[in-house]
Amino acid sequence: MTVVAAAVFLALLPGAPTWAHPMPNSIMQLDVLSDSLTAELQIPVDDLSIASGVELRRVDANDVLTRRATDLQDYLARHLAVTTTDGRLWIVKVGQLHLGEAEQTATGPYREVIAHATWTPPAGADIRRFVVAADLVVHEVVTHSIVVTIHNDWGAGEVAHDGAGTQIGIIAEDTRTMNLEPLMIELDRASTWRGFTAMVHLGTEHIASGTDHLLFLLVLLLPAPLIAVGGRWRGAVSTKRTIIRMTRITLAFTLGHSLTLALSALGRLQLPATPIEVFISLSILIGAVHALRPLFPGREALTAGLFGLVHGMAFSFTLAELGLTTSQLILSLLGFNLGIELMQLGVVLLTLPSLVVLSRTNWYRPVRVLGALCAALASIGWILARVGVPNPVATLADQAGQSGIVVVIGLAVLAALAFAWQKRGGGDANGSSAEHTTPTSAPSSDMGTAARIGDI
Amino acid sequence: MAAVAVALIAFSTACAGGDGESPSAASDSSSATISGSGVQAVVEAANAFSNSLTDEQKSLALLDLTQQDAVAWSNLPCGQSCRGGVPLEDLDDDQAALAETLLKTAIGTDKAGYTRVEALRTADDYLAELQSSGQGGGPGSAPSGASGAPSGGPPSGQMPSGGPMPSGGQMPSGGGGGGLGGYGAGLYDLALLGDPSANGTWMLHFGGHHLAINFTYKNGQVSGASPYFVGVEPTSFTGDDGTQYAPMEDMADAVKAVTAGLSTEQLGQAKLKDSFTDVLLGPGEDGQFPETKQGVQVSTLNDAQKQAVLAAMRTWVGVADDSTAQSMMSTYESELDSTYISYSGGTDLTEQGDYFRIDGPSVWIEFVCQNGVVVQNQVHYHTIWRDHTRDYGGEFSF
Repeated sequence: MTVVAAAVFLALLPGAPTWAHPMPNSIMQLDVLSDSLTAELQIPVDDLSIASGVELRRVDANDVLTRRATDLQDYLARHLAVTTTDGRLWIVKVGQLHLGEAEQTATGPYREVIAHATWTPPAGADIRRFVVAADLVVHEVVTHSIVVTIHNDWGAGEVAHDGAGTQIGIIAEDTRTMNLEPLMIELDRASTWRGFTAMVHLGTEHIASGTDHLLFLLVLLLPAPLIAVGGRWRGAVSTKRTIIRMTRITLAFTLGHSLTLALSALGRLQLPATPIEVFISLSILIGAVHALRPLFPGREALTAGLFGLVHGMAFSFTLAELGLTTSQLILSLLGFNLGIELMQLGVVLLTLPSLVVLSRTNWYRPVRVLGALCAALASIGWILARVGVPNPVATLADQAGQSGIVVVIGLAVLAALAFAWQKRGGGDANGSSAEHTTPTSAPSSDMGTAARIGDI
Repeated sequence: MAAVAVALIAFSTACAGGDGESPSAASDSSSATISGSGVQAVVEAANAFSNSLTDEQKSLALLDLTQQDAVAWSNLPCGQSCRGGVPLEDLDDDQAALAETLLKTAIGTDKAGYTRVEALRTADDYLAELQSSGQGGGPGSAPSGASGAPSGGPPSGQMPSGGPMPSGGQMPSGGGGGGLGGYGAGLYDLALLGDPSANGTWMLHFGGHHLAINFTYKNGQVSGASPYFVGVEPTSFTGDDGTQYAPMEDMADAVKAVTAGLSTEQLGQAKLKDSFTDVLLGPGEDGQFPETKQGVQVSTLNDAQKQAVLAAMRTWVGVADDSTAQSMMSTYESELDSTYISYSGGTDLTEQGDYFRIDGPSVWIEFVCQNGVVVQNQVHYHTIWRDHTRDYGGEFSF
């Protein structure tokens, strides 16, 4: 099991810079649910072996872990005490354990045990004020420390994007007294507003980093200004028509993904991640091919809507991880979707003008073809990567996605140049290239001609 | 009268080392002859060195004497992100010679002094070679064996806030080994805190991976030669020229001699119930000495056993110049009866967790064995010498 646990923690407590601990520290990531806390514990094998007496510093550590699982779970439960501020114990349950790999600053790679624990407060206790009296490993290895983070706390607007979350304290021996100070936790006050805004933010981030979703939409927008004639893309419809088509495609995509996002999230469906992600990459490939040779001319909006249904299922994965109550979920859905749509709208608004302007010039064909080919290549790379064949194309595509803004600006620059070139008479204004045959009828009947050909 | 005044002024200017005037030290840098003696010699060497630096180097090497800058040191290969000073590899030949003169003047002359420092730097070059030839583990390298690939990118190398950080110079953004400075003999940094002068208060910092030397000077004396972190990986190796190196073997042997000389009963009293996988009071733990001393009290030991304890101390205290080391040892010897020694794990110093400590009214020394980071099939050493009252010359309170 591979776990990404590389993190450099901000040394919020004086006197405890993280570079003083080249032996890796433990990490305790807390998720605050409505009536309990869950924690993911990442404990380096070396120090855990010393403290627990279960020797895992061996090649067959996995076997040892399976055989001695109960012993380790008992050990952890005994050393994971959480109490109310007046000393009443919370109920601790420790779940399955498994081994993982990790690396921290200057430690080199090391093995760790990953455990999940649940803490339930006694009746009437405040779930947002408690004392972590946990002393696992530290009770024995006095040079060890446990970094405690808040991973998810919906009400306080903490929704983990990646990584361990926000550090709230360190459990470590006070060397002056050689005693362990329990860690008093007071979580920020929770409010629905904070949860909601956090979800809007999460939505914008999710789609901003969701290169595949945006690429699908953009690749469908590419043929929007064009007319299919005899199995090839020819001609161009009016600007007004182009904009209307692009809007319809975007709206259809929005409706499609919003619908399944809502249904999957509310229905708390357990959906298989890999097939869905493969399908999404496939949808990009289909859209890219369509941008090269019309597969379903005039049906782009329908395709966007249908494929959007699958994209929405992928969006719901993010919400599924958060462990929300139903009312939180509904609000999160609204917020998350709002965030997605806002960011999507932003991207479309930024690229749509460039595409429209470009489509009026004879630069559009190379742009369209190049764009479609790149999208096709990226999608093939992603498909392979998602079925377990890592490849440099997928990595490159992911990296390119990070600098999406470059593409947007590039398109705008291209559009401006193409427009200037056209004005200078670089191409026949009446369009001598195949792409550029405008219908000879007057603008007002453009809609009519185009409507007949392009909008079945 | 006026002539006397002029002469006095001229004399004091000459002694203070002036601006732009190379003191006599510089002209003989290669043969390391320094006029004057003791702290005066170190001051001259320090000024010769600082005068030779470019402005950019000065911004790295010449720091203010503040607590923030004083505590900014580490034993990790974190380059300049965790310590101040100009890296030796950034110096040209003349500057490097002046740096060497400075270090040789300030640091003790015998095997516990400059010899050890050079051997540690050689060890770091050795580690660098191991890593680049793919034979070693460690930060940024592929793990040896182990099922499953480790997590992706290197740690982000962000600058932590609130921890000790040098205030001068630029923080470099990267470097080899996952955001760290990497290994190598040139990646040791030299800094001067405050204004080196015969009567003023100032500090000399020299450190890098597994090394931190912090000397404080006040009123013409060495007011503190600690904290001194010294560690090594690997514990022994063969250099390119065939020389055998074991930079800290004398320290390990001296520690083993102490525990080997204890009776079973004394060993029982000395054993700590806690386990250690690093030194307790490493960087950032200034002033955090345990309030209660643990272990067996040296006053209950016989003369031979006491001598063994002193011999062990000397291997750390010897990093200071010879006369300072002598006076430190006198102090520690006079406090022997109230000094405690303790250990944890084993006394062989071969397994992770083998740990030894000397804790006196002043002296604090720890020695611990930690699993290898680069050479993963053997332990390596982490040790530290602190002084309850003389860390950083007692200039700061923690």
